[in-house]
Amino acid sequence: MSFTPGQPVTAVVQRIEIQKLRHGDNLILGFSIGGGIDQDPGQNPFSEDKTDKGIYVTRISTGGPAEDAGLRMGDKIMQVNGWDMTMVTHDQARKRLTKKNEDVVRLLVTRRSLEDAVKNSMSRP
Amino acid sequence: MPAEVKQEQSPSNATSLAMMQEPQEMVEETVTIEEDPGTPTSHVSVVTSDDGTTRRTETKVTKMVKTVTTRTVRQVPLGPDGLPLPEGTSPLGSYTDSIDRRYMKNGGDRFITPQATSTLTRSYNNSYNDSYGETPESQYVRHYGLHDGYVDLADNYGSLSRGVNFRPPRYPYLPNSYRPENSYTLPIRKDDYGHVAQPQVPMGSSTIDLNRSQPERFQAEPYGLEDDRRSLGQDEEEPYELEPDYSTANRRTLQGANRGRTHREPLRDGPRVRGYADDPIETELIDERHPYIHGMYSAPLAQPERGSMASLDRMGGRRSPSIDSIRKDPRWRDPDLPEVIAMLGHPIDPVKSNAAAYLQHLCYENDKIKKDVRQLKGIPVLSGLLDHPKSEVHRKACGALRNISYGKDNDNKVAIKNCDGIPALVRLLRKTNDMEVRELITGTLWNLSSYEPLKMVIINHGLQTMTNEVIIPHSGWEHEPNEDSKPRDAEWTTVFKNTSGCLRNVSSDGAEARRRLRECEGLVDALLHALQSAVGKKDMDNKSVENCVCIMRNLSYHVHKEVPGAEKFQDPSSLQAPGSAGPQRKKKDDAGCFGGKKAKEEWFNQGRKNGENDKNYDTLDLPKRAEPTKGFELLYQPEVVRLYLSLLTESQNYNTLEAAAGALQNLSAGQWTWSNYIRATVRKEKGLPILVELLRSDSDKVVRAVAIALRNLSIDRRNKDLIGSYAMRDLVSNLPSGQQRPAKNLEEDTVVAILNTIHEIVTDSSENARSLIQAQAIEKLVAINRTSQSARETKAASHVLQTVWSYKDLRNALTKDGWNKSHFQVQGCDPPTVTATPKATKNGKPGYDDTTLPLMEKNQGTRKCGSGDMIPMDELGPDGYSTIDQRDKDCKYKAGDSSVDLTEREPLKNDTNRKHYIRSNRPAVSLVDACDVKPQPVDSWV
Repeated sequence: MSFTPGQPVTAVVQRIEIQKLRHGDNLILGFSIGGGIDQDPGQNPFSEDKTDKGIYVTRISTGGPAEDAGLRMGDKIMQVNGWDMTMVTHDQARKRLTKKNEDVVRLLVTRRSLEDAVKNSMSRP
Repeated sequence: MPAEVKQEQSPSNATSLAMMQEPQEMVEETVTIEEDPGTPTSHVSVVTSDDGTTRRTETKVTKMVKTVTTRTVRQVPLGPDGLPLPEGTSPLGSYTDSIDRRYMKNGGDRFITPQATSTLTRSYNNSYNDSYGETPESQYVRHYGLHDGYVDLADNYGSLSRGVNFRPPRYPYLPNSYRPENSYTLPIRKDDYGHVAQPQVPMGSSTIDLNRSQPERFQAEPYGLEDDRRSLGQDEEEPYELEPDYSTANRRTLQGANRGRTHREPLRDGPRVRGYADDPIETELIDERHPYIHGMYSAPLAQPERGSMASLDRMGGRRSPSIDSIRKDPRWRDPDLPEVIAMLGHPIDPVKSNAAAYLQHLCYENDKIKKDVRQLKGIPVLSGLLDHPKSEVHRKACGALRNISYGKDNDNKVAIKNCDGIPALVRLLRKTNDMEVRELITGTLWNLSSYEPLKMVIINHGLQTMTNEVIIPHSGWEHEPNEDSKPRDAEWTTVFKNTSGCLRNVSSDGAEARRRLRECEGLVDALLHALQSAVGKKDMDNKSVENCVCIMRNLSYHVHKEVPGAEKFQDPSSLQAPGSAGPQRKKKDDAGCFGGKKAKEEWFNQGRKNGENDKNYDTLDLPKRAEPTKGFELLYQPEVVRLYLSLLTESQNYNTLEAAAGALQNLSAGQWTWSNYIRATVRKEKGLPILVELLRSDSDKVVRAVAIALRNLSIDRRNKDLIGSYAMRDLVSNLPSGQQRPAKNLEEDTVVAILNTIHEIVTDSSENARSLIQAQAIEKLVAINRTSQSARETKAASHVLQTVWSYKDLRNALTKDGWNKSHFQVQGCDPPTVTATPKATKNGKPGYDDTTLPLMEKNQGTRKCGSGDMIPMDELGPDGYSTIDQRDKDCKYKAGDSSVDLTEREPLKNDTNRKHYIRSNRPAVSLVDACDVKPQPVDSWV
């Protein structure tokens, strides 16, 4: 995925649908996010481009819904239920993901392995 | 009362400050500045500056309240026997008494001239007989015996306001000059009167009258923040005249005249009142009233108080042109105090409200009148009117109570409390939507809250209501923030100012009060939001902000001991807290055993390790928070550091600065997890240079609060190093040099605080001691030690000197500068400074002050560390800490070359372009992380 300010972002994305797990009063997804436009992008260990302020999956709890759905550590979340996640604050992202009235979140994520796979397949005619 | 300043200090303060041996003991201080609200804000500052401070030391056992001693030249009425007349507590008693003494044998009484008396008596009998047919004596009693008094009077008033046939002849008004609107405004003003009235003097009064009235003039008191807006524009002088009159016998004699005036008082009903035809009796009336009138005019010395003047001007709009003509007409008098109080019970509401309004006016800046109202049992009546359904009535009653509650006479406040005035006020606050009434209520509560014993009462009755009705709505904070709605800003309304002032006062009432406030739902959240909004709007100098910060500061006091569940956060390794000296001491001690090279390595490693610990503090053992932080937990979240630092950066208000520094001071005290975070966060938020800059403040108390805050912050080892290298000069420059004090002329307390901070900084850090020497401090310290008049200063200075001398590697430098051991020893000439015994017992380190031992040995023996010995700083090249003192002279702000410490040094840049740390009010999971200068990767589980 390349990111140039002012240019539309093109990325190879994967849809991931996660069914939230009810845990007492809370609905949990079983992963943690990092990043956001209010965070220091330089400290994001997952991003290729250290100016990328996107939201990244930082940890996955084993056996949790996110793992089951195929989310991986280091995935960059592009959208949540259709909402853009590339230009949001950390907290906005968190809120989008943790809406109490939504049992399912549909993510659009991109990850380096996907990009690589696509690149490879394209370079190999 | 104009203001009270109270300070609380932790029990450890007095002693530990002086001792300074254990960094674990820290100083906390809660300072509450109490001020009564008042309209003329200029008064506030004046009064405040006059004010003394109150210090609570040692578990707040001793509380002293120093208030301004107002220069009141109050005429103590002397009886003929030359003794001051007692001012009885029972109104009746006292009046009786004064009657006896003044009236009966009033030969020498300066309040009543015989002439006037006789005149008055004549008229009194006259009118009295007309209207009552009782004996004068009983009539008199009725007036003062409250209830009776006004029941009776009420009847009269009733007839009066119905008007026409009640003693019309008494009314000297000129019909054409009297208009209803004006009637509102009792129009005598001295300045207006001056020229007109003066000619009246010959009419009935004598020079004795003149003399008599003059002393009263001086009662105008230099302070007074009551709001006189509601007052009726009455001349200030009148109250002074009333005092002697109604409290003494001549009141009796004036009865007739008073009666006449009384009717005039329900001015609302002006039309009914005026229009009395001139009557033969009028002449007589004028005569009899003359002493009064004359007294008013003949007071060239009395200056109308500004506040009241201003208020009158403000009322200009309401004044009709004819008002002046009324004022110029001296031929009426105002009702006297008992009459006014009696009118509070009048069945007709406008009479009540006017009476209350007039009372408010009378009480304005007049303590005597307030006291008299109290003794005449006017306060319960007013308080009862608070529940009156008519807004006009409860508003005026509230206004009167506000003025009565103002001032240093706490009995008035108690009287309001005793008649359940506080719940009544709170009830009214809940009930009314009238902003003006709310202002009056909260103003009254603010006044009441300045009296210690009432604080808890206010908390019990009003805390949640004030929070819900005022603090939360005006702060802009919302319980359940709507995601899409913009966070609202705080509104700095008068109501908010008053309420926050009240809470500020009550928040100083000890642990229980703090607990109640902390646990008051939404209070801390709202205050925090308000302050954040103030920072956001860069509107930080106002009184409301000051109040809010002071509340926060007070509530932050002793959080580590008082907050529920605090024990969970107590640092288990409190002696080895990250950044604290604990582990290092141990290390260094070990290092000492192994010798130089090894020591150095250990030291580096230690330094690095510590650095890492510090860096990771937020991810390491930050207590888990399942839910967003709210309530009192917000008090000590590292997030607040930004807020306080922003205030410290931007505010121009000394009280705010002091409070913000005090809050940091409180938060950085104590050994619990949060204070570790706070200390680290202050550093990471580049707070140290902000604080250091404030050491240059002109305000004594700001310097003091900052100095103590720095001391607590230096419990964190890294902070200690930074403060030692960068703050030393500013600390030292605040010290008096020899005999002559610095320009600032700091108070003893401040000097001691600075010395103690210096002591803390140089303890365990020979490098900091070196900085101290380079800052030319030794000369000052020696001078203080030898010549200071203050034992505390001497003692604190000698501790610093001893510590400095304990670093052997510095002695060469010291000797070169011409110092020798004797300069660093306790001065024999000053006995109080020889503190060996208390210190030794307290800390169980008997060797410490034994002057027979070489200082160095003592230090080693007691401190176990003797860092100065083992780690010659000059060889510490690569370490970030050690480079400082060599370089900082020239490139103070240059970042060090240490990789470990790089980010830590930047903070000390004197960055004028500091950004504001404004964050939405979002006590989120990322609270701590977001505080970092460079945001650490934030992780949120979802």
